[in-house]
Amino acid sequence: MPKQYRSREGTITAVTTKTQLTTLGSETAPGSLLVPAGAKMIKAVIAAFGCDMSVAADGAYIVRLEGGGLPEGPEVLAIGASGVQVATGGVNNLPATRFEVDIPVTPANEILIFAENTGEDTGSTTVGVTLEFEV
Amino acid sequence: MSRTLTLIGDVNAVDTRTVLTGQGSVTAPSLVVPSGMTKISKVIACIAADNLANNGAVAALLRLGGSAVLGGEQVIVFAGLGGMVVQTGSDAAPSISHPFVLNDVDIAVQASDSITVSVEMAGVDPGDSAVAITLVYA
Repeated sequence: MPKQYRSREGTITAVTTKTQLTTLGSETAPGSLLVPAGAKMIKAVIAAFGCDMSVAADGAYIVRLEGGGLPEGPEVLAIGASGVQVATGGVNNLPATRFEVDIPVTPANEILIFAENTGEDTGSTTVGVTLEFEV
Repeated sequence: MSRTLTLIGDVNAVDTRTVLTGQGSVTAPSLVVPSGMTKISKVIACIAADNLANNGAVAALLRLGGSAVLGGEQVIVFAGLGGMVVQTGSDAAPSISHPFVLNDVDIAVQASDSITVSVEMAGVDPGDSAVAITLVYA
């Protein structure tokens, strides 16, 4: 069945704080992420993060899905973690991960995507999330 | 049967759509969807940065658009990267990309129409980067 891919990204700058992902690179105001017409399920969540590693610390990253497009309520996924010994010279480069799910959705309703740095403050972390809808 | 299209490019500015048109020694590969192909069935993507900009932290976005993509532009997150510049005299860690392989994609395309493949680094600039993208048509 055909699929539709909808993405958002944003940068987390505070620990243990919900940060809504509202942008899409050069699109600074892409608007609400609406469930595509005809979609019944989110079949997968694809997520990636890049951390500047500016703090000698360790933390884990989670993604929260909320909003009226999710009739069963919010969902939360652990997407990864990072840590570094010193605040200079840390480097990370990881491919995105595809998490297979079966989350029912309501077409034309909004899904809000949040990311969060849990544990210790690792610095600034940009998180990108793609929702894979089956239409 | 499947066919492939591979494009590479440099993405040297953050939050800027960079259209990929080259393929290394082949400067202008055809962007026309081959005859008989009806969908993109797989995406392979990789990116690496030189990390010469301090405090870099980005998510890499792949945009698939153009008249060949029947459902409108599709945007897929395929990597995340970042880092800090090392102290003077220290050795820098490498930025090595393992490819992101997305199977069972199923994006409907129109044969004989052209596809536009773009990449963006979204977030805080980590420096210059090189990307390579392969689309598998079926």
